[in-house]
Amino acid sequence: MKIKDIVLTVIFIILIGVISVFAWVKAPAEYSAGERRFLKEKPVLSSETVLNGEYMKDFEEYTVDQFPFRDDLRGVKALFSTYVLNKMDNNGLFAVDGHISKLEYPVNPDMMDNAAEKFDFLYEKFIKGKTDNVYLSVVPDKNIFFGEKGYLTIDYEKFIGDFREKVPYMKYIDIVPFLSSDDFYRTDSHWKQEEIRDIALYIAKEMGSDADAEYAVNTLDVPFRGVYLGQSALPFKADTIKYLTNDILSSLKVYYYDTGMKEEGEIYNMEKARGKDPYEMFLSGTTPLVEIENPNASSGKQLVVFRDSYGSSLVPLLVPAYEKISVVDIRYIQSNFVGNFVDFSDADVLFLYSTTLLNNSTALR
Amino acid sequence: MVFSSIPFLYYFLPVVLVLYFIAPRCLKNPVLLVSSLVFYGWGEPKYVFLMVLTVLQAYVFGLLIEKNRGKFLSRLYLVLSVLFCLAGLLFFKYADFFIGNFNAVTGLSLPFLRLALPIGISFYTFQILSYIVDVYRGGVPAQKNPVNLATYVALFPQLIAGPIVRYSDIEKQLVCRSHTFEKTAQGIKRFMIGFGKKIILANTLGGLCEGFLVSSDLSVLYYWLYAVSYMLQIYFDFSGYSDMAIGLGKILGFDFLENFNYPFISKSITEFWRRWHMSLGSWFRDYVYIPMGGNRANKGRWLFNIFTVWFLTGFWHGAEWNFILWGLYFGVLLVLEKFFFLDKLKKIRELSRVYTLFFTAISFMIFSGNNLEGAVRHVSGLFGAGNIPLVSQEFFYNLRNYGFTIIIGILGATPIPKVLWGKLSEKKNFKAVLDVLEVVLLVLLLVVCTAYLADGSFNPFLYFRF
Repeated sequence: MKIKDIVLTVIFIILIGVISVFAWVKAPAEYSAGERRFLKEKPVLSSETVLNGEYMKDFEEYTVDQFPFRDDLRGVKALFSTYVLNKMDNNGLFAVDGHISKLEYPVNPDMMDNAAEKFDFLYEKFIKGKTDNVYLSVVPDKNIFFGEKGYLTIDYEKFIGDFREKVPYMKYIDIVPFLSSDDFYRTDSHWKQEEIRDIALYIAKEMGSDADAEYAVNTLDVPFRGVYLGQSALPFKADTIKYLTNDILSSLKVYYYDTGMKEEGEIYNMEKARGKDPYEMFLSGTTPLVEIENPNASSGKQLVVFRDSYGSSLVPLLVPAYEKISVVDIRYIQSNFVGNFVDFSDADVLFLYSTTLLNNSTALR
Repeated sequence: MVFSSIPFLYYFLPVVLVLYFIAPRCLKNPVLLVSSLVFYGWGEPKYVFLMVLTVLQAYVFGLLIEKNRGKFLSRLYLVLSVLFCLAGLLFFKYADFFIGNFNAVTGLSLPFLRLALPIGISFYTFQILSYIVDVYRGGVPAQKNPVNLATYVALFPQLIAGPIVRYSDIEKQLVCRSHTFEKTAQGIKRFMIGFGKKIILANTLGGLCEGFLVSSDLSVLYYWLYAVSYMLQIYFDFSGYSDMAIGLGKILGFDFLENFNYPFISKSITEFWRRWHMSLGSWFRDYVYIPMGGNRANKGRWLFNIFTVWFLTGFWHGAEWNFILWGLYFGVLLVLEKFFFLDKLKKIRELSRVYTLFFTAISFMIFSGNNLEGAVRHVSGLFGAGNIPLVSQEFFYNLRNYGFTIIIGILGATPIPKVLWGKLSEKKNFKAVLDVLEVVLLVLLLVVCTAYLADGSFNPFLYFRF
């Protein structure tokens, strides 16, 4: 009998035994902060769920979600995949130039069509005849800067060009030349508000307005663990969120329409800044409709912005140019109902969407 | 349930092993049987009864065959049992294939049955057939204890993906088997190697293959990259599963025969099939080819025997024409080798490996097509059909993304690592270091494989069609 055999057997008995006992007795967690999702709960055992196989399927998902030290093990997997197998991406996420990013590939023409159809509907039903000032601006995901590093990226020029052709009634505002990878958070998909002042100025200018203003730069005192950080499980330092303030922004009247109720709030939601996703501090994150009234404005102009989450941090920077801004997110409100809340007469209308959303537009309602 | 899952490794297996090792000798087989039924029922609760029924008929017919040995009834019982087994296999696995082809030929539109395929039915049916035929031939006595026979068929280590263990090979072990630290350690090591092959190599390469199948950026070299990756994925998946089965068998005191022996180093297709899925090849040889007369017949009959076996081998792998084509393709190559150039291949050693890999790659593209149209598309894609470009963006990305895994895979598919390790072990100074290193590496392998499972990474189950 070799000692090695005994040692190997004993180590495996202990390892598998201890982990197994831990897995059996560990209290299940409800939420994964890293992955920003609720974890699978223990399935209900019944003859029906056993016979149709549902119990087994759910139990397997439950054991994976609730496995002891899961977050650490996900990190081990990410490191092994990246540094031992030399893989460029891990579950579609990759680290490059100090950023974590996610493959947004390939182009889904059906999704582009779907987004264009939704915009057509809004235009035909609410906008056409009330204003000619309809604009489109497309925010590229940050992979636009990583294609030359060998990562799979869509052809952004073609993508945006193709989409523009689908919405010929919109005047295109090209913000791509203003962007660099430094304008995006390292661990998140979004752009940094403090880096997009030039973009806000340019968009406003293209719409015939002037949004110039002085701002103070404030730093949020909680770390920002971007969406890609938890998903990738890579050992990255958290980002820092900075947000811009001035007298104009602090004197705004901001109304949030959520679940049909109109509630007054602040342009930056400091409660959400300390929540699960600090980026949601900008315009309170996922809200169907926000009305911003600027008592200091003298232009008399109104703006309606159809947007995704990139608009949350940009819209506050357009405020100096407008008396009223309505911010609509048709992922959270049926397009049909938009006319009940928003007046398009003589307003500037801006569609501000990311390539990510236009290429995955199932959420648009 | 599959081995490469958290419920198996950290819920099912520890409980089974504890129960198994504390059970007295007379209860070890019942423990194994009940555990195996739970293991099988986990994925297919409805089909446990089918398997039990198939075992019961084999048990009864086995006893009847033995009782009537030498009489006509013996042959009748054999035929009835074989028909029973094949009827189940044909009905569940091939019914829709036959209906589809019948509809295509007649223009009728008989409805498809759309039955879920009982997992592992091809494997356990062949095991039962081997038992009943061996009893008929007098090679083994009929098993008097139904629990032992059911344990043999349902034994969870080899139930759903083989190797196809013959009753004669473990007949004695079903009654008496030894458990030692040495055997257990060998089993753990073998299981972990298989686990690593499946989780790290096969599943990673499966990511490339999955991406290829939905790609709209195909190119000639991307087809070849896919072909290489698919060959390696199937090899590491299947041989990894066999390793896990053999390892688990050892832990439970059984010695299963080997199923793979570095098939990609073969110097001919003939040799390839002596190294690839050996338990299936030998099963067809002993239970189909030789009973049909094998090569002890005139040339015409011999050819008929060969093509029948390879038609059945292909059909066994899946109820689609591409699998039949795949089998016949090998039949043609084997006949050509036998009649024309097997001797010549032996003279051109390295080129013969290239020849074997090339034709094996083609075969895997036929296999991966899922149907005849897909097989034609995959094979013709290798040669640029459809005006596809030589290279594409996705090809370059996947080459970089999976290149190192492919290199590890290629090396791992040869005996080089084993030979190197063996040579180093022979050196006095290295022996102790390697012994420690081996334990450390196996523990690390467990941690990394568990990490992959906990991550919920891509973990396909490739045996659904078997």
